[in-house]
Amino acid sequence: MAKTKLSLGYGPKLETVPVELPPGEPRPWDANDQLEVVGEPVPRIDGQLKVSGAARYTHDVALEDMLHAAVLRSPYPCATIKRVEVKAALDQPGVEAAIAVAAVGDKLIFAGQDVAAVAAARPEQARAALASIVVEYAPAPFVVGTRAAMRDGAPLVHETAVEERRTGADEPGAEKATGELSGNIRPGRSQKRGDAKRALNKAALTFEATYETQCHTHSSLETHGVMVRWDSEDAATVWASTQSIFSVRDEFAAIFGLPPAKVRVITHFLGGGFGSKFGANASGTAIAKIAGELARATNKPVKLMLTRHEEHLCTGNRPDSIQTVKLGATATPGAQAKITAIHVQAHGSAGVGTGAGVGRNASAVYTKVPDVLVESADVFTHAGPAVAFRAPGHPQGAFAMESALDELARQLELDPIDLRLAHDGHPVRRWQLELGRERFNWDARRQAAADMRARGTRVRRGVGCAVSIWGDFSGTEARVSVEIDRKGGVVVKNGVQDIGGGIGTIMAQVAAEVLARPVDQIRVEIGDSELGPGVGSGGSKTTASITPAVRNAAEAAKAELAQIAAEALEASSPSKLRWTNEGVSLGRRSLTWAELCERIEGEAIVAVGTRARTYGHYPKSFPGFPTPEIAGAQFAEVEIDTWTGEVRCTELLAVHDCGRVMNEMTVRSQINGGIALGVGYALMEERVMDPSLGVVLNPNLDQYKPCGAKDLPEISIVLTEVLSGNNNTGAYGIGEPATIPTAAAIANAVGDALGVHVRSLPITPAKILDALERGRQTSTEGDT
Amino acid sequence: MSDHSKQPGGVTRRGLFRTLGAATLVAGCVKQDPGSENPERSEAPELDDALGLTPAPLEFVLDGQPVQAEVEARTTLLELLRLDLDRTGTKVVCDRGACGACMVLVDGVPRNSCMMLAHDVGGSEVTTVAGLAEGEQLSALQLAFIEHDALQCGFCTSGMLISSTALLREGGPLTRGQVEDAIAGNLCRCGTYPHVVDAVLAVANGEGGRRQTELLQVKKGGA
Repeated sequence: MAKTKLSLGYGPKLETVPVELPPGEPRPWDANDQLEVVGEPVPRIDGQLKVSGAARYTHDVALEDMLHAAVLRSPYPCATIKRVEVKAALDQPGVEAAIAVAAVGDKLIFAGQDVAAVAAARPEQARAALASIVVEYAPAPFVVGTRAAMRDGAPLVHETAVEERRTGADEPGAEKATGELSGNIRPGRSQKRGDAKRALNKAALTFEATYETQCHTHSSLETHGVMVRWDSEDAATVWASTQSIFSVRDEFAAIFGLPPAKVRVITHFLGGGFGSKFGANASGTAIAKIAGELARATNKPVKLMLTRHEEHLCTGNRPDSIQTVKLGATATPGAQAKITAIHVQAHGSAGVGTGAGVGRNASAVYTKVPDVLVESADVFTHAGPAVAFRAPGHPQGAFAMESALDELARQLELDPIDLRLAHDGHPVRRWQLELGRERFNWDARRQAAADMRARGTRVRRGVGCAVSIWGDFSGTEARVSVEIDRKGGVVVKNGVQDIGGGIGTIMAQVAAEVLARPVDQIRVEIGDSELGPGVGSGGSKTTASITPAVRNAAEAAKAELAQIAAEALEASSPSKLRWTNEGVSLGRRSLTWAELCERIEGEAIVAVGTRARTYGHYPKSFPGFPTPEIAGAQFAEVEIDTWTGEVRCTELLAVHDCGRVMNEMTVRSQINGGIALGVGYALMEERVMDPSLGVVLNPNLDQYKPCGAKDLPEISIVLTEVLSGNNNTGAYGIGEPATIPTAAAIANAVGDALGVHVRSLPITPAKILDALERGRQTSTEGDT
Repeated sequence: MSDHSKQPGGVTRRGLFRTLGAATLVAGCVKQDPGSENPERSEAPELDDALGLTPAPLEFVLDGQPVQAEVEARTTLLELLRLDLDRTGTKVVCDRGACGACMVLVDGVPRNSCMMLAHDVGGSEVTTVAGLAEGEQLSALQLAFIEHDALQCGFCTSGMLISSTALLREGGPLTRGQVEDAIAGNLCRCGTYPHVVDAVLAVANGEGGRRQTELLQVKKGGA
């Protein structure tokens, strides 16, 4: 280890911090480095392919002789299979193979589960042939509502212990649930500090409320899908719509008993994932197994792309939640009030799967609260399984915790920002709250909201804020290569996929920065397992895992070039050389880039770089990890028509920390995206199940409503850069933090506008009118 | 030609087949889906000019080039473009007119190609995203999309470009509201809307400036 000192900090605070670097690690970019390309709003390098329609996504790949697969799915939420006969499908036009996926005696536990599949020359032929498959089901009692599933005597979803399905998108450090299954409830995952129950008993003042969130579907525009081609008996190429190429390779290899090296996975372009696209199969449907078996049976490539309907049934969702939040506080009036205890009891239904975590706002943001207990339990229902979804657990947990804080603040007649500042120990988030207060014109807007409430105006406005916590969860598994050939070409290669964040562009920027080359002179190749180990795009870690490895590879390649240049220019040491866009010089002697590269021996310089373990976390580490905690705060304004209940989010200010900014424009795109997802979650989106039929009632985008262009507020973004000394580029993630506080901030703004809180997402007009009625009743009772 | 493709009462053939297909699937019975009958074995109706279950000739202009194809009556324009003509820049997302990802211009009007039968465009001019550029030269709007980062995963991009191109062709300066109205039928799950609006306004109004993020960098030497 080499010791060095770095200039680290945020905003006005700059410190010299000792850091131990692993051997060979270049000095991390710190406050003293003036970077030319990194951080700049460089347009994404594959933009031309995407705007011209030339980019080929998994959905678009066509191979000669390929067949299209379709899957027959259970129409029943719970049933045993008595008979499956696929033979008749083989007589249908275009059909070349038909297989049963479920066997006689199998118990199906949600509507949408795999039953059988066919492969045909055209997709419409495959879909039509499903009707010829004969299946006899013995339907059994089922339960799809979370509360209904919690009741004694509810039909049991699982009769034995439930296997935890973990993916690379799960929040690292989230404890594995270990509780015993009791009925449909399985306790697990708790976070604890002190003794919250005792502290609540002793508290002078207590607050208690129950908050509910809905089931939220990922709705990536490109549905889950794969194409499988067997290249030989024991080798396959898989095109996959995935956010983790290597997890597809490993799971596909495991399914078919192959060495992973015999499986090549390609994802040149990906139409979104949001946490749902890890592994070869999807969470509720064995797409890779089905396509692989059909391809084997027909000896032709088989493509299986889910329809939008299927995507809603069996590829994952964000679990719903029922969270009871209890706060204990001192009786001291006004700004002196202190929260002494937080107790959150959460139940979440992840359908037949697991994952009822509620994030860390309660346990890890409010570190000045001495006694905290967060308990969560999975509730199983006969519905499609949940899977990690952009900041798993956090948006629902933030909604409950941040709502409870605001309700307590209203009760104590405190400013909600002041209440947060009094209990949050993270210096960056505290700074963000203060910045937001000023930039959002918080005090004046709160006063205006109070005036409208007092006057009882038809249209009300209100403001709210909420915060986020996330960690830098970067991994060290990537191997990035940088090649510089004799003609001066630079190629950066890695088997990472671009989920939409634009990792390829940032890789080019980092290589361009190190080599002092124009960005457009760097070629980037990604999206193929043969390009070297990459990382999965989950946990907001792609940029922070890949860019340090790019820098190391580029630095190693440059060191070789520097040796060549030093010899040619007769420099006493490579460190005396001056590098520019034109080439390299020493005093008046110089070589152009082309002249320098001509001197490379052999075809090209090839250097491979890795990322060292995270070695710094200034100014504060994420609880339980030696890596930085990522802070964020959002401020929302809403406008509500109290006659109709119509609510709109009109303005949103997002203040986020994402380490050193790699590309000011693409980071803004990601934040816009987090907000759009949060607005839909707050006001519009909800998967609706029919309790009597056990099926999803809105399995397409006409009835399931994501946020559209006209639903978005006016967005302002402030990035509070933090140099943490975590790795040699200083990057960390933003994808997930950007969506955590949005719904909570909107809910708090609604509370401010109405003077009464809506404790359930999505905040629909009906719920607004209910809340107003509740408020009227309370005030009438108060009058009498 | 397009008149023949509609059932009486405004029910499209495709919609009818979908309903029947879904009904047989739910019932789990062996009844043959009328949509899947083998053309060779079925008896085509003896009606001149009628569109039945056998492929019929279709001619239209696609991205400036004349196309001649034999197309089944049930085939949607989207299926024809993607499966038979390899125009995969036009995306399939919802397949029921709810998201705008499959939009194309039909005689200059933006249409969801999943909601049209292929035979509906006989004699028409169809422009997909691949036809927006002049040869290798991207249109001003396509360049503005890149410049403003009006795309992330890129799956909604073709539809966004088609809707906005149609709006720009109406001419004149535009407001944010007008652009938002024009793309109201285009869903983007990455949340790229503000940048799409910026890109369209830059082309319409000549506003070259990019939206800025306020970046509060570490101040050297403290403060």
